[in-house]
Amino acid sequence: MSTVILQQGINGIVFGSLYVLVALGLTLIYGVLVQINFAHADVVTLGAFAAYFFTFVFGGNYLVSIGVALVVGAALGWLVNAAIFAPLRERGSELLPLIATIGASILLQNAMLIWFGPIPYAFDSPYSNAVLRLWGGTYITWQNLIIIGVSTLTIAMLYAFMKLTYMGKALRAVAQDRETAGLMGIDPNKLIMLTFVIASALAGMGGAMLGPILVLTPFAGTTVIVKAFAIVIIGGFGNVEGTIIAGLLVGLIESYTTQLVNPGLTDIVVFTLLLAMLALRPTGLIAEKREENV
Amino acid sequence: MDKRSSVFFLGAAAIIALAGFTAEASAQDKVIRIGGLFPMSGPGAYFGAQDKQGIELAIDQLNKTGVNGYKFEVRFEDSACSPLPATQAAKRLLDQYKPHVVIGEECSDATLAVMPLMAQAKVPLLNAGSSSIKVTDPGNPWTFRIMPNEVMQGVDIATNAYKRLNARKAALLYENTNAGIGNAKVFAETFKNLGGEILAEIGFGRDVNDFTAIATRVAGLGKVDVIPTYTLEGQGLRITQALAQASVTKGGGGQAIQLGTIWLPFGFEQKAGKAALGYVRIVQFDPTDKRGVVQDFVGTFTAKYNQAPTHINAHAFDQILVIADAVRRGATDSQSIRDLMATTKGFAGVTGSVEFDKSNQNIKMDTIHYMETLPDLSWKALGWN
Repeated sequence: MSTVILQQGINGIVFGSLYVLVALGLTLIYGVLVQINFAHADVVTLGAFAAYFFTFVFGGNYLVSIGVALVVGAALGWLVNAAIFAPLRERGSELLPLIATIGASILLQNAMLIWFGPIPYAFDSPYSNAVLRLWGGTYITWQNLIIIGVSTLTIAMLYAFMKLTYMGKALRAVAQDRETAGLMGIDPNKLIMLTFVIASALAGMGGAMLGPILVLTPFAGTTVIVKAFAIVIIGGFGNVEGTIIAGLLVGLIESYTTQLVNPGLTDIVVFTLLLAMLALRPTGLIAEKREENV
Repeated sequence: MDKRSSVFFLGAAAIIALAGFTAEASAQDKVIRIGGLFPMSGPGAYFGAQDKQGIELAIDQLNKTGVNGYKFEVRFEDSACSPLPATQAAKRLLDQYKPHVVIGEECSDATLAVMPLMAQAKVPLLNAGSSSIKVTDPGNPWTFRIMPNEVMQGVDIATNAYKRLNARKAALLYENTNAGIGNAKVFAETFKNLGGEILAEIGFGRDVNDFTAIATRVAGLGKVDVIPTYTLEGQGLRITQALAQASVTKGGGGQAIQLGTIWLPFGFEQKAGKAALGYVRIVQFDPTDKRGVVQDFVGTFTAKYNQAPTHINAHAFDQILVIADAVRRGATDSQSIRDLMATTKGFAGVTGSVEFDKSNQNIKMDTIHYMETLPDLSWKALGWN
């Protein structure tokens, strides 16, 4: 039994790492703009397809395809901001961008349905079925090791960028007070664009690593994004550290609920936690002042 | 041209135009309108894409000569394998297209949702892909099914697992839908009655992506002989791979044999890869069947689409042929299609035979074909039915 419990811990950390990558993008955008981007799920899907086609159609290396998906995600983030968020932001409405991203999401899903078709793609990376046997009968696939490694590295780089670089500090300044940041010579529009690019790049990269795990269809990202929203709320909207902890927590909860209760109840457990957080600790796991977020 | 001649020519022209109109109207009337309710989006969209191919091939062939002076046309609506979009799609079809007969859906929940609408409109619904017993038991007089229901499939699979595979311990994996729960329940009851033991019944939603945790739980059960699995293709692929990674199934060096259902399309093994080794599953169509009707279908399908047909292509093809058979015997409208379909006997389609019982369920078991996945990922027909 201890082997199984340990194995479920490994499983939980793997999927939690992926959740974190997807949820971080959402929390970054919320932290800076106080807006929710519903099209984020479709950037994940498009990232997965970009990696798939790079690997299987163009014969590229899977590890390189993660970088390709990152670039595709970044480009899509730039496009979504330039075409939707930026023009609507100028009109001063908070509701319009929200609704527009729902529209963008439906548009992207249906475009992908036309481009890629409805039949699930078998996206197996060279590492998907290569198993590394660990101690006591536990195991991990190389694909999952890549997920943990890339996620950890990305989170560390993002953290360093936000805390140590001028651009990162400027981004935080915009999140705290956009007008004052503007008076200090920071161009908020450029930094908002940067936020979108970083957030979507993370989503695209997450898609490339989720592809070999997900059932890859044009609707693949939507199955992950609901959990990502829950993670953002549990972690505290706009709070990067909270999102990381909440992502890993949700991954572990899912694994242990599957083992000890029933996989059909994982959503109930996760969303009960979400409701409990909203009722008892609406600021999220790490209660900070909003200006300290991002 | 004088006035009398002008009147004559105008009159003649009017008569010719009227005759032409009448002839055209008559030709239009000699069409059987078939509504197609299939998932074109969402996780079951692969059904719709393949159903469409089989249906269009059948209609192309039938319309070359017509049947009893009737031609066939079809309009598809996306029912998304889900109750709400299915009812909306059914209403659109009934209101706008006014079909004589409707075929579909594939997913039981969606089929169950549209059945009352069809009964109310008195339009027969011919189903080929839903396994829930509720579709025909109690069902309604307007719903027909050519596919073996969950009881027929479940009893057969459980019996073969126990008697032919000598399985004594099973773990059940199923999606939490009417069909998933129903199929698993029938297997469990039959297997236990035969003396087998069910170690775990694990249900999950269609939104589950990662099956590593479920495979770990199955691995923790100890010795498992068979793992009947009831899912759509996408989740089925990931389950098969996760079970192999956890060394549970033969594909991963374990002992357990995964048992699959009619739900999975052909090509599943190639997508799942080595993990599918030893997988035993039932399909509704055996392309190696030597009957002329099967080989003709394989040939014409391959020529038209440049790919081999799947059992989803095949059962969609058969749906049209069952309707055409009723038209051949004199059906002209919804009521007569219903009445004559109910008396179908000795119909030999590409999936097998069709003969309906009082609840409009096909009673023929030769539509169930057992296949085993070999190391080169090809199939071996086990010939158990």
